[in-house]
Amino acid sequence: MTVLEFNDIRRAYRRGENVLDGVSFGVGAGEVVGLLGRNGAGKTTLIRIAMGMIEPQDGEVRVFGMDPARDPLEIKRRIGYVSEEQTLPGFMSIGDLIRLHRGLFPDWDDMMAEGLCDRYDLDWDKKVKTLSKGQARQVALLCAVSHKPELLILDEPAGGLDPAARRDFLETSIQLLNETGSTILFSSHHMSDVERMAGRVVMLHNGKVLLDDPLDELQENMAVAILPHAEGRAAELQGMPECLGVRDRIEGLHTVLRLDPARARTAVEDSLGVRDGRYDRLGLEEMFIEIAEGQS
Amino acid sequence: MFIVLSPNSGVPVYRQLIEQIRLQVAGGRLAPGDEMPSTRNLSAQLGVNPMTVSKAYTQLEREGVLERRPGRPLVVRALPPDQARTRKLEQVRESLEGAVTTIRQLDVPTDEALRLLREMLERQSEET
Repeated sequence: MTVLEFNDIRRAYRRGENVLDGVSFGVGAGEVVGLLGRNGAGKTTLIRIAMGMIEPQDGEVRVFGMDPARDPLEIKRRIGYVSEEQTLPGFMSIGDLIRLHRGLFPDWDDMMAEGLCDRYDLDWDKKVKTLSKGQARQVALLCAVSHKPELLILDEPAGGLDPAARRDFLETSIQLLNETGSTILFSSHHMSDVERMAGRVVMLHNGKVLLDDPLDELQENMAVAILPHAEGRAAELQGMPECLGVRDRIEGLHTVLRLDPARARTAVEDSLGVRDGRYDRLGLEEMFIEIAEGQS
Repeated sequence: MFIVLSPNSGVPVYRQLIEQIRLQVAGGRLAPGDEMPSTRNLSAQLGVNPMTVSKAYTQLEREGVLERRPGRPLVVRALPPDQARTRKLEQVRESLEGAVTTIRQLDVPTDEALRLLREMLERQSEET
């Protein structure tokens, strides 16, 4: 079953400049999808469209088969959402906020909320405006997951958090996966979190989907080739069907290929006739940098 | 269970799990009959997606390293001694592969490389 579906989404903030330029992908029930891309790639805009906060100018978005602009309440009841820029009402205490959410969501789970309060060491009487950035985000997450949503949407949830708070965040999301089997879409710049959480990654670049693959397959079938500079070689590499990007560096041309290192060597040697290349696996972080920077 | 993940190694997390569990079985740290943590517990303990753990478990089951019996936790399977030996050697072969590549890339003659390996092994057994 498809929980979330984007179909040829287009959205511009100014005429002629599409932030999203025809984005299509779906997220199935129980899937955990990491949304990657550089700042400005369109991640937040896409997430806001899914949340019904803005509407696409073209294309269609469906959440649980419904249009978030038309059925916002029904959808919101089944979604949990945390974003980096979210602000909570400062005058309320943590307890007030929890009671408010408890009243809004029929499926609110007191045990889970209290468990998270203990884990995060949150004081119910404390006013939201006195909380640190990390604590405020923890409260936001607690409110987003304690009704055991079918779909959890996290927009750069760990942005600006210290590593310990980030890990708490990750563990809470995993707890939700384990207990509820929720579907998760999250954007993140922390590739080690993506590695731990995501079953699939979608990478946006200039408003388009550049990659959409199961993470394991991507890691197993991706290599970087470092080749000596030569006239016209970058273009030759870009012409290879498996090429995902070429980056001109001092030590040579970095090319990301959608092939494991051994196959990448054979493919480059066969099509370019270059023997003196180096071929390596890529960690997700390097993969991200090489691909994002290697776009012409 | 003691498992250390190396993020950003380029090796998928489920593969890292498989390799470390295999190693622990081959090395005797996990003995036949030992119960494995549930998918849920290991996922929570390591902070990884439960699907990843279950993918690793399924593959280890297929390889005959782990055994699932209805209604019981997954356990380490008992192996006949000759198979245990084969598996140990497989592990060694895997970890030597990187060294072999380096030896070839640096053009070190085979007998010199072998001498070095022997020396290293002897030094280790003296130390322990």
